[in-house]
Amino acid sequence: MTRLPAPDSVNLRDRYPDVFDRPLSSRLAIPAMLLGAFGIFVLGLVELEFSPARMLAGLNQLGWITMMMIPPDPGSSLPAYLVALGETLSIALLGTTLAAIFALPVSLLAARNIVPSNIFRFPVRRFLDSIRGVDTLIWALVWINVVGLGPFAGVLAIAVSDFGAFGKLFSEAIEAADRKQVEGIRASGGNTLHEIRFGLIPQVLPVIAGQVLYFIESNTRSATIIGIVGAGGIGLQLAEQIRVLEWQKVSFLILMILVAVAAIDWISGKLRFAIIGKRAVI
Amino acid sequence: MLVVEGLTCRFGAKAAVDDASFSIAPGSFVGVIGRSGAGKSTLLRMINRLAEPSKGRILFEGVDVTALRGRDLRQWRARSAMIFQQFNLVGRLDVLTNVLMGRLADIPSWRSLTQIWPERDKALAMSALEQFDMASLAAQRADQLSGGQQQRVAIARALVQEPDIILADEPIASLDPRNTRIVMDALLRINKHFGITVICNLHSLDLARTYCDRLIGMSAGRIVFDGAPATLTEHIARELYDLEANEVMGGAPAQAPAVSGVPALDTAAAA
Ligand SMILES: Nc1ncnc2c1ncn2[C@@H]1O[C@H](COP(=O)(O)OP(=O)(O)OP(=O)(O)O)[C@@H](O)[C@H]1O
Ligand SMILES: [Mg+2]
Repeated sequence: MTRLPAPDSVNLRDRYPDVFDRPLSSRLAIPAMLLGAFGIFVLGLVELEFSPARMLAGLNQLGWITMMMIPPDPGSSLPAYLVALGETLSIALLGTTLAAIFALPVSLLAARNIVPSNIFRFPVRRFLDSIRGVDTLIWALVWINVVGLGPFAGVLAIAVSDFGAFGKLFSEAIEAADRKQVEGIRASGGNTLHEIRFGLIPQVLPVIAGQVLYFIESNTRSATIIGIVGAGGIGLQLAEQIRVLEWQKVSFLILMILVAVAAIDWISGKLRFAIIGKRAVI
Repeated sequence: MLVVEGLTCRFGAKAAVDDASFSIAPGSFVGVIGRSGAGKSTLLRMINRLAEPSKGRILFEGVDVTALRGRDLRQWRARSAMIFQQFNLVGRLDVLTNVLMGRLADIPSWRSLTQIWPERDKALAMSALEQFDMASLAAQRADQLSGGQQQRVAIARALVQEPDIILADEPIASLDPRNTRIVMDALLRINKHFGITVICNLHSLDLARTYCDRLIGMSAGRIVFDGAPATLTEHIARELYDLEANEVMGGAPAQAPAVSGVPALDTAAAA
């Protein structure tokens, strides 16, 4: 084992007083912050009327509802449910696709390596951020008022809110692309479009495709939720059955959703693999 | 004839290339040598206009290349093909498409962007690949090739640009000895067969002496040697490369006592 010679601690203490005697304020900072956080947490519980008693009573109710759900049974509504599920899947698919199609060109404008100037990039980024800041559910309420109840409003809600998310994600993928490959195109005499088409797109397409697939998956869930507020699909059916306390139908609907999400998960996994695989990209 | 006049490139206060002047006759094979950081890459990149000169001019057949913009600039880039140390191929595109990138400046954009390549251009690309024994890999993705193979694809891409000059920036620095020979021989063949001027950055003095008919030596951005390989004396060569050792010594005095171990800790702390 190596032994370092004894350090000259007096001398070192002189030279780096901050290291040896940390000021009181910096030593108290972390405990003070923890204490503060705990205080806010307790205050929150009190303010929101958190009550263990009510939860216990609720647990009882929850157990009862679960009992009522068994066995899951669609009754005579299976065809209607299948149509509704198809509607929800279409909302997710169409909404996500539209979002991706519109986000791609905009994300180029938000990427540093395409638009180096901060002045031009900044407004695009802020624009995307503000769209993203509004949740899909709120967009659904907005569009229901604009185009009326139904799946169309759902498609628009997902398209708009994910447009913001995709714009940001795509632009980050573009910024992470290897500059050398783009430079190879430029050095051969390609113009900006060529640089994007041949230098960037092949690099970012697999990343983008993976993100789109993931969003389709998670939007199947979102499409269910916005269905509840009136954007059509299986969510609407679910809300309806909960309202009339048809618990067996509710559990059947939930199972349908679970199976659909799992199926989409499986398909998108396969597709992602195929895209990232060994073949040359277009 | 390529003429470089007082070419300077600054990054901040530092001049990466400082007042370089030379002219190169068509058909020469010129080696640019010098230690790391001497400005070799920057010099080549300025000629291809990947880097902007801060001062000076580059003239090719009387045309001021430094003033070119837009379409003319892209035409010039095609005429001064660049080969990179890291190949700079598009990894996810197949070999053939990578070579076709060399045709971009000559093909209408609607055709290239939709990948409806004219027959002649495809034939050009395939024949270039054939010359470097790469035709059988045309459909392979570029990032699945070995380094030597990738560099041959890059040379094919440069060749189909039908360039007047090939600028090779340390084309063999990431290759093994066998591939080094293959790539350097390919450049030499292009040079002799098509009369294309080659300007090649090299680290190895031996290679430079073997392949080049003229050497330009750079040190700290300045051109300190320009002549036939035979006139590069041992003395000048040592100056070109040994500077490195000198500079390390001069730049960091704490380096010397470091050899003796622990005492250096004190020296460093006191500094
Ligand atoms: N884009 C840049 N920004 C800032 N400084 C740069 C840039 N490119 C090059 N330099 C600097 O310019 C100097 C010359 O660099 P250059 O790459 O031309 O050297 P080189 O001779 O090619 O070296 P090597 O043999 O290591 O490739 C270096 O000091 C480098 O740090
Ligand atoms: Mg270099």
